Amino acid sequence: MSGEVSVSSKQIQHGPTGPLGAVDGPFTTRQLTRLDEALTLSSVESGLAFSVYVGELATPTRAHAEALFEALTPNSVLLAVSPGQRSLHIVTGDVSAKRLPNRACALAALAMRASFSNGDLTGGIVIGLRMLADSAGRA
Amino acid sequence: MTIVETVLVFVGIPAGITALLAFGVYGKTLLHQPNRYRPGKAWNYPPSWYVAHPEALGQPATASGSVTAVGGASGEW
Repeated sequence: MSGEVSVSSKQIQHGPTGPLGAVDGPFTTRQLTRLDEALTLSSVESGLAFSVYVGELATPTRAHAEALFEALTPNSVLLAVSPGQRSLHIVTGDVSAKRLPNRACALAALAMRASFSNGDLTGGIVIGLRMLADSAGRA
Repeated sequence: MTIVETVLVFVGIPAGITALLAFGVYGKTLLHQPNRYRPGKAWNYPPSWYVAHPEALGQPATASGSVTAVGGASGEW
């Protein structure tokens, strides 16, 4: 499974916590495997550090997503998804913004929205990661 | 045939077959919830944050310096 982020700030839990495929988790083991594969492959291919946050975002949601991003690195790309609020944010940093213009992010966000509105949370995240990695190109 | 036998044959066997078919169709879903998200459904799970393996990436996922968000995109569904 993906490595855990140990960020000192913020009171959120950085997952995944507990055993793989825990019954109370939002994703099944198979979905977690898909997420992990997409996350690792897109990060390795593009050289950008992708990360996926799934959970409640404090309003204004964009500001919260950008605050979360501050715990990462300049070459990171954060996909923040709040299924409860039905909102998603893609945040890029100093280095990653040069590889991923806002236009490419908007296109990925559009594809993710299409999957999410069909109820396919994992598929949407995986598609978003793939599209962003494709737009960024090889490292 | 006694009444018990009649009931067993004409109620018990059809009920058994129905239960078997129902389990075949819905059993997998009943046994483990697929956790499928539906738009508009409440999301009551604790926040989770997934990052790629630092070993695969060859660099730490978190930084100590100040990092600011530059761009990106937003959307709602």
